[in-house]
This record gives sequence, C-alpha cells and structure tokens, in this order.
Amino acid sequence: MNNIWDLTQMTKVEIVISGEDMPVIVELLSEVGATGFTALSNVSGLGHSGYHQGRLLFNDRNALTMLTVVLPGERATALINGIRPLLSDRSGVLFVSDTWVSRPEYFR
Amino acid sequence: MSGSEFLAARARLFVQIDIASEVIAPLWPLSTSIAVNPLWDLRKMSFNEAIDYAGQVLGITGYPSAEMFKTSYLNQRITDIDIRASINSCTTNGNHRRSPERENPDYGKEKILTAAERGDLILGTNIATTTDREVAKWCAAYVAGIMTTQPHGRFYSAWLDVIATDPAARRLLGKNGRNRLAQSPVHPEDSILESLELLGVREDERICELSRQLARMPGWAGHAKWRSRWASHNHPGPALQLVDYLAVRLSYDAHLVDSASTGRNQLRLEKGNLDQDYSGTEDHRQMQSSPENYYMTEMPEEIRNHLSGLSSAETARIWLGAYESNYRDQILSKLAVAKPNHKPDPTVQAVFCIDPRSEVIRRHLEAKGPYETFGFAGFFGLPIHYQSWGSAEGADLCPVLIQPNAIMVEKPITGDGETALKQVQGRQGLAAISDMFTFARKGVLSSFILAEASGFVAGLIAIVKTLFPSRYERVRASANRMLVPSVTTTIDTNPKNGGMSDEAQALYAETALTTMGLTENFAPVVLLCGHGSSTENNPYASALDCGACGGNRGGASARAAATILNRVVTRKLLSDRGIIVPKSTIFLAAEHDTANDTVTLFDSNLIPPTQLDIIANLKQDLNRVRTTMAAERIPKLPGSKSRNPVAEGIFRSADWAQVQPEWGLARNAAMIIGSRRITAGINLEGRCFLHSYDSATDTDGFALETILTAPMVVAHWINAQYYFSTVDSNVYCAGDKTIHNIVGGIGVVQGVGGDLRLGLPKQSLFDKNQPFHEPMRLLTIVEAPQNLLDTVIKRNPVLRQLFDGEWVNLAARENENENWKLRKPGGSWISWIRNDRNDPTEG
Repeated sequence: MNNIWDLTQMTKVEIVISGEDMPVIVELLSEVGATGFTALSNVSGLGHSGYHQGRLLFNDRNALTMLTVVLPGERATALINGIRPLLSDRSGVLFVSDTWVSRPEYFR
Repeated sequence: MSGSEFLAARARLFVQIDIASEVIAPLWPLSTSIAVNPLWDLRKMSFNEAIDYAGQVLGITGYPSAEMFKTSYLNQRITDIDIRASINSCTTNGNHRRSPERENPDYGKEKILTAAERGDLILGTNIATTTDREVAKWCAAYVAGIMTTQPHGRFYSAWLDVIATDPAARRLLGKNGRNRLAQSPVHPEDSILESLELLGVREDERICELSRQLARMPGWAGHAKWRSRWASHNHPGPALQLVDYLAVRLSYDAHLVDSASTGRNQLRLEKGNLDQDYSGTEDHRQMQSSPENYYMTEMPEEIRNHLSGLSSAETARIWLGAYESNYRDQILSKLAVAKPNHKPDPTVQAVFCIDPRSEVIRRHLEAKGPYETFGFAGFFGLPIHYQSWGSAEGADLCPVLIQPNAIMVEKPITGDGETALKQVQGRQGLAAISDMFTFARKGVLSSFILAEASGFVAGLIAIVKTLFPSRYERVRASANRMLVPSVTTTIDTNPKNGGMSDEAQALYAETALTTMGLTENFAPVVLLCGHGSSTENNPYASALDCGACGGNRGGASARAAATILNRVVTRKLLSDRGIIVPKSTIFLAAEHDTANDTVTLFDSNLIPPTQLDIIANLKQDLNRVRTTMAAERIPKLPGSKSRNPVAEGIFRSADWAQVQPEWGLARNAAMIIGSRRITAGINLEGRCFLHSYDSATDTDGFALETILTAPMVVAHWINAQYYFSTVDSNVYCAGDKTIHNIVGGIGVVQGVGGDLRLGLPKQSLFDKNQPFHEPMRLLTIVEAPQNLLDTVIKRNPVLRQLFDGEWVNLAARENENENWKLRKPGGSWISWIRNDRNDPTEG
C-alpha cells in the first residue's frame, strides 16, 4: 500500500469506554505524545454487558464514548501498556490495527 | 530503559494512579461545593464490600455507631420486627454467610499501610505525619497562589523551584539531604517511579501504596482528584493535579525514610513481623470494634443468638437494614393510603425542583388554592453556562454529570440602555471599592493604615450587623438599589450568541415536559420555580443551593427555561411533536429562597393582562405559604425561639454569626418517581425527592431512563454524602464551622492548617452532638410497570451497580391498585407486606 500511494504506516487504537474514564485516557494520550484524537460521545451498540442505547440525556459520565487515535508504533505500544491495566479494572474494549496516513508529520 | 520503555512505564503509572484514586472522593471548590457519594468510584463493589475496602485504606467504619442503634432501639425507631426483617433480608442476600475465618467475632481486615508508615513502625519515627505536614503546607501555598511565579506552573515544578532553599527541608534532611531532594527528576511521573524504587515498592504493590498515600490526606487528594478528573481544562486558578501531588508526597517519604533508615531493604519486612508490631497500635485497635457493643440485654434471646458470632461490621449491617426497613414500612404505608387529590382546572401549575425542601412548599401551596404542582430537576433540563448581566464570570447551571452545551447571557431589554449603563457603572464602582479594600487589607503596611483609617466605621458596621442583622440587610439592600438601579433584562437564547438552535430548544422543551408528565391540560400560568439559599458568612452556602444547577441558585435556569417555552417558534415545534401549549398559557420563572421562605417571581413585565388576577392571587397565597411553611420549618432549628417564625427565618438568613441558617437536605431518605397523585396531601416532612413521572406517556422507558440515570444519581450522591458525613464524621464531615479557615477559596481547614476537610459541616448534620440526620441509604420508590423498570435497569450498568450492590434500595408498583414490590440484588422482586414485614412472600 505504501508503495502504491506513498503512505506511511501507523497504528490505530480505538477504545470504547465509559465517559467518566475519558479524563484519564486523554491525559494518557498526552503523556505518550499523541498529537490528536477523535471522540464520539454517547455511542450505542451491543457488548458483554448488554445493548447500550446511547441516549443518556443528562449523564455524560455513564454513557459510552468511542475514541480513535493514530500514533507511531512505539507510542502506540506505550499507550496500550497503560490502557490494558485500566481495562482490567473498568469496562470497555480496545481495538488495535495497522493504518496508513498521508501526512505522517502530523502524528509524530 | 529505552525511550519507549520510559513512556510505557509512565503510562502504566498513570493508570495505577487513576485506579488508586478510586477510594478518594473528588472535592469540589467551595463556590460550587456539591454533595457526592464519597465511595462512588468503588461502586463496582457492593455497598458492604466498598465499606470494607475503604475501611482498610481510609480507616472508616462505614455504618452508624452502636450507640446510635441502641438509642434507636430503646425509643422504638428500630423494633424487633425490623431486626428480624433485616436478618431475613441479609440471609436472603447472602450478606452474612459465615465463612470459616468469620467464625471469629473479632475478625477484621488488615489495614493497608504505605512504605513510610511501615518504616515508622519499624524505626519509631514520624515520617508519614511529617510528610503530611510539609505537603499540606505546600498545597495551601500553591492553591493560594503564593508559591509559583509562573502563570501555569504545575505544583511539582513549583515545589522543586523552592525546595532547595526551604529551611524546613534542611531541618528535616540536613543540607546534603535537602540537596538530594531538590535534585529529584524534573518530570513528576519519573519522580514517583524513582521514589517508589527508593521505598522498595514493587510494581504489583503500587496501587495499595498509592491508594494509602492518597488516603493519608483525603482532602488535598480529593481536591487534586477533582482538578484532574472533573474540572474543565480551562478552569481558572492553580491546577493541583494528582500526579504532582503524589510526586511531592513520595519525594518526602522516600528521602525521609532513606535518611532515617540504613536503606530500602529494611522496609521489606515479612508481613507477619509487621502485623505483630502493628497490632498494638491505637489505630489498629480502632478498626476492630468489639461486637458486644451492638448487643442489648433488652433484645429477645433468639435475636441475640442469631447475632452472636457475627463480626461488628456484619452486625452493623443488620442494624442498618432494620433502621431502613422501619422507615421504608412507614413511608410505603403512608403512600398506600393516599387519596387522589386531583384539582380540576388549576389556575397555576407550579414546577419545583426535586429537592426535598420543595416537598414542603408544594404541600403548603396546594393547600392554599387551585394549584397543581410538579417535581423536576431544578435546571429544568437545560444544561447551560449562564452569564448574568454585567458579570465577568459565568456559571455552569447543570448537574456535574454533564457539561453545558450552550451559553445563555442575560441582557437588558431594548430601550432600557441608560438604566443598564448606570447599573454597570454602579456595580463597577462597588467592585472597585471592594478590590481596593481587599488589596489594602492584604498589604504588609497598608493593612495597618487601613485599620487606623477605617476601623471606626468598620467597627460600627460590625456592631450593627451583629446585633440587628435583619435591619442591616434592609439598609444594605436599599443602598444597593440606590447605587445599582435595577434593570429589566431578558435571557438571550440565540445560537449566534452561544445559545441553542430553535430545534435544540424545542427538543429540550419537549424532553422537560414529557419527563415531568406535563404534556396536556396546561393551566393559564405555569410557574417554573428554582431555588437558592440566602445566608451570610457561610463558606458552605453553595451546599444549600441547587445541586441540579451545579451548586448554584436555580432562578436563572428557571428564567432560561421559561424564555424558551414562551417563544412562538418553540410552541410551533412542540405542536409538531404533539404537545399543544395553548396561546393563553404563560410560563413564568420564580425562585424559592429556602432560608427565608420567600418566593420571588421574575419577568413580571411578561405577564399579559388576562393573567394579572391569577398572579395577584398567587402572590397573596405565596405570602400565606411563607407563614405556614416557616411555622413548620423554623421550630426544628437548634436554638429556635419560634415566637415569630417568619421574622426568625429572615434573622437567621441575614445573621453573619449564624452557623445553622437552615437544615438544608438533612434527614433526606427517599426519592419518589411518579404522579403527584401518590403523594398529594401527605406530610412527607421534607425528606423526599419528588420527581413527577407518568409511565402512560413513556412506553419505551426513555423518560424513566433519564430520571433514573441522572436525577436519581444526583439524589443518591446527596443521600450518600449525608450518610457518610454522619456515620464517619472523622473522615467525611467538615467538622465544626466555628473553627474553619478558608484556604485559597477552595476548601476549609480546621484551625491553622493540615488537610482540607471533606463533606458537610457538623452543623448541617448534628443538633449539638446528636445526629439530626438519619443515616440511611436512599429508598427509590417508582410507579411504573415492573417490566419497564427491569428493561431500563438491565441496559444501564450504573443502575445495576446501584441496585444490585445495595447502594440504593428500590420499591415499585405499576399503579395504585397493586401492592408495592421490593427489588432484591440480582433482579428478583418480593411483595411488600403491610403490617407483617417479618414474612415477605415471593412476588
């Protein structure tokens, strides 16, 4: 892919986590040097604790948030090092995949 | 370590700190202090498990004292029937299954200690208390803004800047030791990792170490937790973060231990040796109260036999269950005999906050005339950041569970520009005088000059203010009106100025009306009544204001909601959604002052001529309400003379020496979600949060879900705060108001320094030394179909945690023709049986 489109490989980390855990995740992202992220609050879907409607009107802290971040490999490793123990204590899921970006300098 | 390994180690540490901080409650600043369940972040455990764990880390007991239970038993607040019901319930729920180790009645869990605390036991030193003293000193200096010279300097770096020249550090560690301390790593995370290494704390021991580090001073740690996990990023003022706080604490511990011992290995004692050393300390003995304390010879033998062999905590759980069961049976009995009190064609429908104090005013108002009342969260469903006219700063008017999503600004109405200008000039003049006075008061030399120059006048004012607070308040208000003329204002909801789009306004209006069950049969006037409390010289004033408005007064929220609901475009969009509000109906905002029983109506200029008579009658009736409400409320206050309750309410509200202006939400016990038909005409003694709800208009459970996941969570926080502040006053009560000193505007300390005090002040909970508040877990009572409730609970983990973990008790029925049912952990229901609560049957 890199050869065809001249893209740079990065690691994409997606996390679905309770809104009240967002502050620590955001701090963690800053700690490992992530330069940006995308967050979707009040997401819905089916998980091991049942179906989440994603429509809590007056409680952002107990609604689910989905967060996507793209980082160079070594920073992703550091991030995952932090998130895994958090997920052993709190509910949530983590997805890690390879991705390619066109402007790698934005992510370093 | 390589760079990436460093990053990974820091990331793991970050999460370990977050997990360790679960045992600590966030502490909001005084200006927006709100009630919070101090064990909220432990709610994945059951109520009892969380108390056990917090007992190990914080040393709390978590249950009312044996003395309180004994008194309750002797005065029949707890009966044998209640105790038997509680034993039965605890056995069913598995709350005191006897495990082999619990056969020993003195069973108690080992207290978690920091490495420095272990060091103190081994070395006979006072390292942990020395660290507390030094860290509290620096925290206070930092939040007061006298420590750092950099505008956004962090606590750890500010401390590193000054520690090299700190005389106290030299006294404690010597010159070389102080130099080593000052050479701690620049990054707080690296400093923590280094200190943990120096203290010999392994990675698998970190969470225990860090939890206990935070628990040593839960006030400062709580402030740091609020700042790190709850405050917005742009919140003004010094930002004391958890990681910085721990870095400073652990630096002291590590260097003090290193200086006192021959090295880290000495701290790694075998657990058995340490337990042996520790078992003799006073602290340890306090954790293992004797179960005999809970026994009474007056009890029937079969109850005593049953309780024998249980630990103190297990016995306390049974007593607590009995205490709660007695209240539950009383209130369900009251509700079971309620008579319909539907008033045809009310002239005013008044919507009050769910706050228990609103129950009192609603009952009195309904008794005075053709008034129908509703209960709804006091921010009226509008999460806004509000800025009043001429004010430089705004406030978030919503529960802390959400962020405001719009800015609404108060502005003068067109044509009143000249008065508005005069008002701003008057306010600026008063602010300038106040600033000048404060500046002079704080200056080294000017403070002496100020005392000489203004002491005579200030002294006279102080005498009048002390002896005649009501008159002083009247004179002050008159002077204020003269200097700052009132101006007619409106609230700007326009999205161009930060407000909301028409669609969004209509959505919020629809949600509010649907959730409170007011979607048809509108009266000519719908009063939206927020609340606030006017008190003097009261650092905890915001704790008496509206919790749903983030610890602010609720009048502005009521005005914003009324403005939206009166807009023609909102009415049009509401009618498209099936809610037809008659053109003749007007929404009017008001504010109930819970300290002096007044109700102020806002925006009278909007009242059309057709409704003037209704409003005139309403005002008259509100005056009568004030008299009867004060007569019910004031005699309950300590030291009340009760000759003229209305005048006494005004006096207490204006008295700057008054430490008990009102009881606030003390004795709160239950939340009732349903139609007013269930509760109308019943004296609930201001103990219940009342939320209107009609399941007939909520087929998919959306409104019920909203109520349970937000207003009920807020009610639970308030209830849990009152509970823990009463039962564990050493940790969770702010103590005696008369010796409070405010630190940096963010909290109080008792006396000259030390830890920030958590929770509510003693005067909010105790009448002299006897608890006025009755510590019980919230009882939520819902009128809704059981399958709808089950569905809503099932799809919300937070509700499962609260009900299954027995943080909140739940009773429900589908309609008035059915009996109440009680939900058990796990989701089964049993019928509540009136008059024979000893033998509930499966439902």
